[in-house]
Amino acid sequence: MSILLQQLANGVVQGGLIALIALGYTMVYGIIQLINFAHGEIFMVGAYGSLATYTWLLPQGIKDSWVLSLPLMLLGGVVVAVVIALIMERFAYRPLRNAPRLAPLITALGISVALQEAVRTFYPDATSALRFPRVFAEGNLALGPISVPWSGVLIIVVSIVLSVLLQVYINRSRMGRAMRATAQDPDTAKLMGVNPDRVIVLTFVLGAALAGVAGLLYGSYITNVNIDMGFQTGIFAFTAAVLGGVGSIRGAVIGAFIIGLVKTIGGQYMPGGTQYDYVWIFVVLILVLVFRPQGLFGEPERVRA
Amino acid sequence: MNKVSNIVRPFARPLVLVGGVLLIVAALLPWATFVLNEGPYPDKATLQFFDAPFAVTGFRFHLLLLGLLVLIASFAPVPSRARVLRALGWGGLLVSVISGLFITIEGGGLGAITAADGATAFGALVGLVGGAAVILGAIALGVEPPAHWTLKLPTAAAYAVLVVVFVLVLLGVSLVLTAGGQGGAANPYAGPLFLAFLGFAAGAMAALSATGAIRFVSELSEKHRIFSVVVLLLCALLLPFTDAGSEYWMTVAANIGIYAATAIGLNIVVGLAGLLDLGYVAFMGIGALVAANFSGAAAAAFGVHLPFPVAAVIAAVVAGIFGAIVGSPTLRVRGDYLAIVTLAFGEIFTRSAQNNIGGLTNGANAIPGIPALSLFGADFNKSFTLGSIKLPAGVLYYVLIVLLVALVMTVFANLKFSRIGRAWIAIREDEDAARAMGIRTGQAKILAFLVGAMLAGLAGAVFAHKNGTVSYESFKFLESVTLLAAVILGGMGSIPGAVLGASLLFVLPEKLREFSEYRLLIFGLALVLIMRFRPQGLVPDRHRRAELADEDVGGAPVDEVHEVPGAVKEAKA
Repeated sequence: MSILLQQLANGVVQGGLIALIALGYTMVYGIIQLINFAHGEIFMVGAYGSLATYTWLLPQGIKDSWVLSLPLMLLGGVVVAVVIALIMERFAYRPLRNAPRLAPLITALGISVALQEAVRTFYPDATSALRFPRVFAEGNLALGPISVPWSGVLIIVVSIVLSVLLQVYINRSRMGRAMRATAQDPDTAKLMGVNPDRVIVLTFVLGAALAGVAGLLYGSYITNVNIDMGFQTGIFAFTAAVLGGVGSIRGAVIGAFIIGLVKTIGGQYMPGGTQYDYVWIFVVLILVLVFRPQGLFGEPERVRA
Repeated sequence: MNKVSNIVRPFARPLVLVGGVLLIVAALLPWATFVLNEGPYPDKATLQFFDAPFAVTGFRFHLLLLGLLVLIASFAPVPSRARVLRALGWGGLLVSVISGLFITIEGGGLGAITAADGATAFGALVGLVGGAAVILGAIALGVEPPAHWTLKLPTAAAYAVLVVVFVLVLLGVSLVLTAGGQGGAANPYAGPLFLAFLGFAAGAMAALSATGAIRFVSELSEKHRIFSVVVLLLCALLLPFTDAGSEYWMTVAANIGIYAATAIGLNIVVGLAGLLDLGYVAFMGIGALVAANFSGAAAAAFGVHLPFPVAAVIAAVVAGIFGAIVGSPTLRVRGDYLAIVTLAFGEIFTRSAQNNIGGLTNGANAIPGIPALSLFGADFNKSFTLGSIKLPAGVLYYVLIVLLVALVMTVFANLKFSRIGRAWIAIREDEDAARAMGIRTGQAKILAFLVGAMLAGLAGAVFAHKNGTVSYESFKFLESVTLLAAVILGGMGSIPGAVLGASLLFVLPEKLREFSEYRLLIFGLALVLIMRFRPQGLVPDRHRRAELADEDVGGAPVDEVHEVPGAVKEAKA
């Protein structure tokens, strides 16, 4: 019983991490119907960005106190993630906006490979996993039989707070309304005075910023980063976005928690153990796509060319 | 660009001529001011002036050729002259840039290609200016669509032309394979030399294509399909007798062949039926694992040693069954969602193979010691004597794989022009319309996956025996992406395209061993650039409405621009 509870807690932590990335997938897909495969790599780049900030920019005095170093690392990671995402949008995706669907998807694959390799080649010692500094309170939160590291608690809190904020921003703000309008009907939105380029750029920026946050949180929770983390976690996040219904913020977050639970519970109780937890997530993905392609909260898929 | 060409227009012709002369001059000038570690780059010919043009060698010889061709093309009655000139100019520019860059990097700075230590070497810069001048002049002349020949040849003459062309292709392939020599630490020049040669070859081929010669030959070969297939097959079998007939190049060629066969299989799924498959290499892996387990290797799960043809058939069938399973979601899932489903299946395969599922894959230890094939007592991995000629080891594998590629090509071509092939193309263009026309889209799509997977399984079986080891490492996501890139780079739905794409993607790493660190980085960026600038691929399929290259700048679909001259003629008649 306590094992089950502990695995549930672990699953929620993983789910929070996945949720932050899944939001980026779901927003970009909602607006320009692009599976931004490289989004997982943005997350990875964000993690390396905050690690780099810690290693080379922060003086020892600040490093010692997590209250100061954590926000600065966060800033570093988010800035790196956003800048890369902006370059990617401007030079790779924007020219292909009216191209047939295959072209941007393959471009995204190319960017994904290129970003991984760029970090592997140019970040010092990135060929193997790098240790991520402990920048948040050490120790665990003990709740009866389960214990969750404080960095895990941070993940849960941050992911829920940020997704609520995002939901409010999209529902209430002027720019959020423009985003929803563009997602519904880009042409009409344009006629109503919405600048689609600005909306799309904002979407990429928001997604990348969340991914950058996720990068830092991942680093402080797992305590190391490697260049493969983006691809793996990115696929989990994509699965979560699909499960929740692509385009739906709430769906992506709930889907992410479900995926997190499937991963830990599947790894614990299904045959094959943690070596096959990956497989169960893909099984869920395939089943959802086959039997409920619009996801849990998505609208039925419109017929697409 | 338009503004520039307006200013340049009055000087277009002189500009081209000057550019051509500059290219020739560049070939004769020295290129490097220093001696590289292992001797001058390359052929000991970069330090000196040439006063006798016929003594020029290596990439400078190619530049000389390009310059001469520019001069010839600007005086001789060449069809689509400006387009030909532009292609030649690009060739010159590429050769200069690649060689110049390498010399600059090796020599540590611009001094290496300008003036340093009392030596001067302006070859690269002159070549650069010459190439740019030719391109600019050609654009200002007004680039017209490639010419279209309406020449009709009697059958005997057509056969003769085809034989000559295919023999030239054979020599060309041998030249490309051996250009720059074997890559690796022993030969740091292999990469740049090969790239410079590719630049030259690309310029020359584009020029040929602009004159309409390539289209003429391809139409001729289409008209005499059986004859061309037989001759092409013979030519491919003659490759071991050319310069490329060493053990190393035979191995490289055989590897390319395996991936080319797989790429053609993938082309059925992606190019014909328009279903994006991101886990395709898993089918090759399944085929390889089946063949390995029936090969009698010590680590095999089954103690039986089946003869290779039987094992290969089982491998193809098993892979085909998995293909049908993976394809079954296509009944409900479309577009990029389908791509993700195939990706998920691919990852499930990798994970399961890594964890030695059912004891069939031997996990991270792989299945080593798969015996080499043998036929009538001749081991395929030993050298082989034909009459009095001793052929290098690996030649028999090469022959087997050429036959495999031929088989896969035949399957592909026959399917493409069959009822089911037309159904696939209809589904690719518009699934709902295809269904309305009475095509059973579900069956057709699953069949596409099944056939594609069977071909990959067959290629995997050969792969297992040729390499002697089967590990899940060879069948990861990146391999799937590489295969997909080969198909797209070559041009979706086109057979020569798939072969060309697979060759480029698997020859380049061999040649660029020195740069292996950057291999994947360049690969990723190249994918992005291809999608941006030439999404229809290097050899676009003419029968296919360019799905990826929606519209040319002018607004007409790319392929139709090329069709115009012929169409006008028919309308008049």
